[in-house]
Amino acid sequence: MPRLLEIQRAVNCCLMERDQEAVAPLLPDRSAIKRLDIYHNTIFSGLTKALCLTYPAVQRLVGVDFFEAAAQLFIVRHPPRAAYLNCYGGEFPDFLRDLPAAAVVAYLADVARLEWAVHCAIHAPDIKPLELAALAAVKLVDQGRVSLSAHPSVHLLRVDYPVDVIWRAVLADDEQTLRAVDPSSGPVHLVVGRRSTAVEVARLEEMAWHFLAELHAGRTIRSAIDSCPDPEAAATLAEHLALGWFVAFKLAAWQTPPPKQDFVA
Amino acid sequence: MAPATTRCSTPVPAKAGIGLRFQHHQNLIDFRPDVAWFEVHTENYMGGGAPLRYLDAIRRDFPVSLHGVGLSLGSAEGLDQAHLERVRQVAERVEPGLISEHIAWSVVGGNYLADLLPLPMTEEALAIVCRHIDQTQTYLKRLILVENPSTYFTFAHSTIPEWEFMTAVAARTGCGILCDVNNIFVSACNHGWDVSAYLDGLPSRSIGEIHLAGHTVRLLADGTTVRVDDHGSRVIDDVWTLYQEALMRFGVVPTLIEWDSDVPPLEVLLGESDHAATIMAKMNSDTKDAEAA
Repeated sequence: MPRLLEIQRAVNCCLMERDQEAVAPLLPDRSAIKRLDIYHNTIFSGLTKALCLTYPAVQRLVGVDFFEAAAQLFIVRHPPRAAYLNCYGGEFPDFLRDLPAAAVVAYLADVARLEWAVHCAIHAPDIKPLELAALAAVKLVDQGRVSLSAHPSVHLLRVDYPVDVIWRAVLADDEQTLRAVDPSSGPVHLVVGRRSTAVEVARLEEMAWHFLAELHAGRTIRSAIDSCPDPEAAATLAEHLALGWFVAFKLAAWQTPPPKQDFVA
Repeated sequence: MAPATTRCSTPVPAKAGIGLRFQHHQNLIDFRPDVAWFEVHTENYMGGGAPLRYLDAIRRDFPVSLHGVGLSLGSAEGLDQAHLERVRQVAERVEPGLISEHIAWSVVGGNYLADLLPLPMTEEALAIVCRHIDQTQTYLKRLILVENPSTYFTFAHSTIPEWEFMTAVAARTGCGILCDVNNIFVSACNHGWDVSAYLDGLPSRSIGEIHLAGHTVRLLADGTTVRVDDHGSRVIDDVWTLYQEALMRFGVVPTLIEWDSDVPPLEVLLGESDHAATIMAKMNSDTKDAEAA
């Protein structure tokens, strides 16, 4: 009698790779193979729908038929690795970038990257923002070694095309704006994050974006400022703290002995 | 984020409930219709943000049951511990009256085949499912219900009738059975089983919940027909009749109307649950009459 693992691998081959050779001997008759198609269709239509919900602007840009064909290829190449489908589809932007037929819309993969960031922001776990009082209580001497943890909904995105404008216009069916967009206007720097239940997509100045990227990478505030000497850094930090887009802080270990403090009696 | 208030698990009553769907969230919060309880798909509430806020609000006023589709209790390669942990986290937040899953599998080679696939009805599969139910119940620190599947084909080497498989699972693990009456009807039609024999074969004391749903009949290219459990239409008359038979055997238990595809306006779902409630009420009064006689 075949073992369960063997059976499940055979069914997987039939459903995902359309190879019936291993599964046929396990079934009572030929009709059962036709019935396996029902499961194939449910899996592919369900996952295509999930991709469609995550990438609505991509779907509108390429049309339903193209999107569904691309989704079929994508699903075979990147089946879900977890039953939590809100984390499914993160490889789709790179897949589109490498798909020759998608090259006709130059900014398609960048729109997809923005949509993935928005999707992740919508479903990110709820975590309380950092309490500013706790941060304010850090001693002056320790302030240089504070590093921050970003809220899991917050993503920084540098893209080659003005996809924030394109994305909004596509979803709003705003043909006029879409026609006016100059795709060659150069890269844009974006931040995506959730406040309460609403997701925001905002454009940042390049310096501010690099400063925040340093913070997101776990650098101390001091070292982020040193590597991005942006005169607006303090204002950017204050704004993002007020938005609740940082959730925790820690003090990095001293790189050099702490400065001596002079006590005045 | 911690729950707004401390809550304790509210039992799901032996009444008719409906599945909670995103389309109805706002409507339910605004109008608070007379619904006895709600069932939610566990996987829909594993993230944060808006869905959980709605569920928190609904949870304050109604009993809730968590119904999972992703645990893959029948996977030969073992349970996905990360998914089990996600289920635990949702359960901790929602404190549901019931937690249920399926006698099915969907994970192989670490890939998730997004459907509930049939198991061969063998001693090996039974042992694996029981081990995974034990693990789940230990991890969640509570008993769960498991649902009988709807299936469109069987494996040539299955040796155990499905109702005996379900009964053995309950006996070996102490779990309850979520008796999906529509699934029994669908599978019985597809495989030529006797629906009454199926119901008779189930242990009455283990039945913790009943599911009712719509299904469709499809014609295949080879000229055969197959009934497909798509949860996209009203419960058919034959299934309502089978539901009455089920209640006569098991007594009145929490009953859910499932409708996940082509989700209709809330009123249609409420109409279906009212119909279930009427049958339950008749069963209750018949039982009282019989006791009085």
